[in-house]
Amino acid sequence: MALESSQVTADVVEVTEFMELATKYQIRGVPKTVINDSVEFVGAESENNFVSYLKKAAS
Amino acid sequence: MAILTTETTHAIKKEFEHLSGEVRLIHFTKPESLLFVPGAEQGLFKETRQLLEEVAALAPEKIRLEVHDIQEEPELAAGYGVTRAPATVMTGDAVKGRIRFFGIPSGYEFPTLIGGILEISQGATNLSPATREALAELPASVHIQVFVTPT
Repeated sequence: MALESSQVTADVVEVTEFMELATKYQIRGVPKTVINDSVEFVGAESENNFVSYLKKAAS
Repeated sequence: MAILTTETTHAIKKEFEHLSGEVRLIHFTKPESLLFVPGAEQGLFKETRQLLEEVAALAPEKIRLEVHDIQEEPELAAGYGVTRAPATVMTGDAVKGRIRFFGIPSGYEFPTLIGGILEISQGATNLSPATREALAELPASVHIQVFVTPT
């Protein structure tokens, strides 16, 4: 999605190397996705659901 | 000693035959320290850099790896929003947003690295028209962080 939109910053974070982030975002299971520090979910989601989360985070 | 096996190298070289445009991997690292500093990130700096060098060497005419010391070039890192290392910004002509990898892209995340290189180079994604439309209509920027582990 970051390829398509200048509004998107997409990070992949290897959490075992950044334990303070694991604590901050309460990472208990991976993958965990956090969008704009406000919307989050664990596990994979369909593309449609992912877009719904993006819209919620951007609103 | 190489990180990538011969088998993996051959498989990736085959995939990289489909590379089109140039991909830049802008890698921020820290030099190895002889001192152990409690609380400092004891990441896999050397291994991450070596992995990226081995991948870039499989298509040197298409993949440009730049290695920067985050402590020596903090302004450059800040320009990419990078404040911690190891970090790799993946970019190319086709990238409108920003793609970053924090930590070593190994294990389950290695295919993510290779797939990302291919998509950036080809400038193509499998996103549906509805998704592309939604992205075009985003009212504000979004920062997506996907937390993973290599195993």
